Amino acid sequence: MSDTMQAPASEIEAMLLQHRVEQFLYREAALLDARQFGDWLKLFTQDVSYWMPIRRIKTVEDLDQQFTAKSDIALFDDDHSILKKRVDKMTSGFNWSEEPPSRTRYLITNVRVVAQQGGTLEVHSNFHLHRSRQEDDEDNFIGHREDLLRPDGDSFMIAQRHIFLEQTVIQAANMGILF
Amino acid sequence: MQDKAQFSYHRYVDPKGGTVDRRIFSDPDIYQRELEHIFARSWNFMCHESQIPEAGDYFTNYIGDEPVICVRDRDGSIHVMLNSCPHRGNTVCRAESGKARGFLCSYHGWAFGLDGSLKVVPGRKDLYNGEIDREKWGLLRAPHVATYSGFVFACMDEDAPPLEEFLGEVGKLSLNLIAARGDMVCIDGVQKNVLDCNWKLAVENLLDWYHADITHHSATMAGFIGKPPSHNWHRTMLGEYGHALSGPRMTEETWAAAERGETSKEVRFPEAWRNEERAREMLGPIGRDVKGHPNVFPNVWITASGRQICLRLPKGPEKTELWWFTFVDRGATPEYRAQVASHGTHSFGPAGLLEQDDGDNWIQGTKRTRGVLARKLPFNYQMNLGHGQPHAIDGRSVYIDDHTNEHAHLWLYRSWADWMDAESWADLKANATPVPTEAV
Repeated sequence: MSDTMQAPASEIEAMLLQHRVEQFLYREAALLDARQFGDWLKLFTQDVSYWMPIRRIKTVEDLDQQFTAKSDIALFDDDHSILKKRVDKMTSGFNWSEEPPSRTRYLITNVRVVAQQGGTLEVHSNFHLHRSRQEDDEDNFIGHREDLLRPDGDSFMIAQRHIFLEQTVIQAANMGILF
Repeated sequence: MQDKAQFSYHRYVDPKGGTVDRRIFSDPDIYQRELEHIFARSWNFMCHESQIPEAGDYFTNYIGDEPVICVRDRDGSIHVMLNSCPHRGNTVCRAESGKARGFLCSYHGWAFGLDGSLKVVPGRKDLYNGEIDREKWGLLRAPHVATYSGFVFACMDEDAPPLEEFLGEVGKLSLNLIAARGDMVCIDGVQKNVLDCNWKLAVENLLDWYHADITHHSATMAGFIGKPPSHNWHRTMLGEYGHALSGPRMTEETWAAAERGETSKEVRFPEAWRNEERAREMLGPIGRDVKGHPNVFPNVWITASGRQICLRLPKGPEKTELWWFTFVDRGATPEYRAQVASHGTHSFGPAGLLEQDDGDNWIQGTKRTRGVLARKLPFNYQMNLGHGQPHAIDGRSVYIDDHTNEHAHLWLYRSWADWMDAESWADLKANATPVPTEAV
């Protein structure tokens, strides 16, 4: 992926692309809010890399080490088969961490198409995932995502979702949800 | 000892009746006493030596709920210091790990060496008239820091016994269940999250093999783990000062599979390492068969796969942090290392397919220890009560081979009461409940 965005044929074309990408990400988020996990999983390619590294408190000098490397320990480091296990677990009827299920609201914002290569788009976005659990538990996950979207008919498939949280010590009893 | 005659924490633990008073899981005064009598007195796990290989490398951790810096000095020794400036209390190290030449307080600029000694006081001559005693005003240093099989521990109590004596047979075996597999290193990345539960409920869960069938059922259904191991091949070990382990043991069947180089369902890794000379020596005949979970008292869990340590850090009467450390052989192939890292990432930690489902049980349990009605009912630890027959090898390594049971849970709480009662290490040594030799 190059760092710079390829110049679009015209500004209108860029706006249409931006619109299509945003609508895709909003639809995807709506599937999670609606607990349609099976349909959500269909948006991911078989070779997907779904990864959330651990963030550490580091000095300015060491800021390049604040996230764990891809080969080290992570919070999520899933291929399609693990992602499917998560979905199977969530729909097993015995998924205690989400039984009764939490109420989630995914806010997706600051969507930017930062690169294009061979039809694949590199899309960065910010998110705020609000999760309300039981009577009085509230979790807030805020961060940014670096996705790779591959064209699929008139829509997209997600070939990469790398999720970067702001929290170092996760302020939640579990992360039995999807990002 | 006058106080003790009047009041003993053993009143909360009934080993004969198999019950524990709910009060101990949320009472703020009890929690405060735990910090003083347990965490400030015991040896505490800091990190693995491989996390701080070079001079100046540091890793920050906690003793009780107070932050400490664990740092490698230039001569290779390791120091542990309270992360608090003696002047006004400010933390002098705010990153969680890194490399330092020393530690500088951001408030007034007091500067400390890697050994915690006070090196620089701005205005020492002009403002303090040259009278401040730098010898006296360094960072508070742990009087004891020691490593066992590569694991670094620190103790804040001058009078504590040496680490190996504290660990005893069960504590040493517990750490060697990792170390006996090879020259182990910690993989970068410690998963951390916070739970609104009492630390002891998190600790006792690691000894508990009753819950897996139901708590982790969804992970089995999704095919992430196999069926939990049989309840019939259980080994419990009880050690001095509250160390304990509990869980399945190797059977003829699993030994045969190990010899064929097969992967066991529970741990997903070949068990053949247990046959190596190193393992035979480090673990002994009883330890070699252990596939359960040890707890090095008070709060260090070594997993059954033997590749992870989880700290249960107290953060308040009803708040606990879980910190996961994952280990692999230094010379592992990239494929094998990836497999171990994947196992660590996917099993435990807040997103772990197993661990996701544990936390709420302890959180809800903790909440229900506050109530005036709830406290009328003690918790029940009666599984196999009175039937656990201890055996000993060479008068040590006390073990109970039976079906799944709650002997280790009760032992944890009996020992907890010993620590809470004791006024000093000498008192604890003299008065701690002896490791049982009769049926428990």
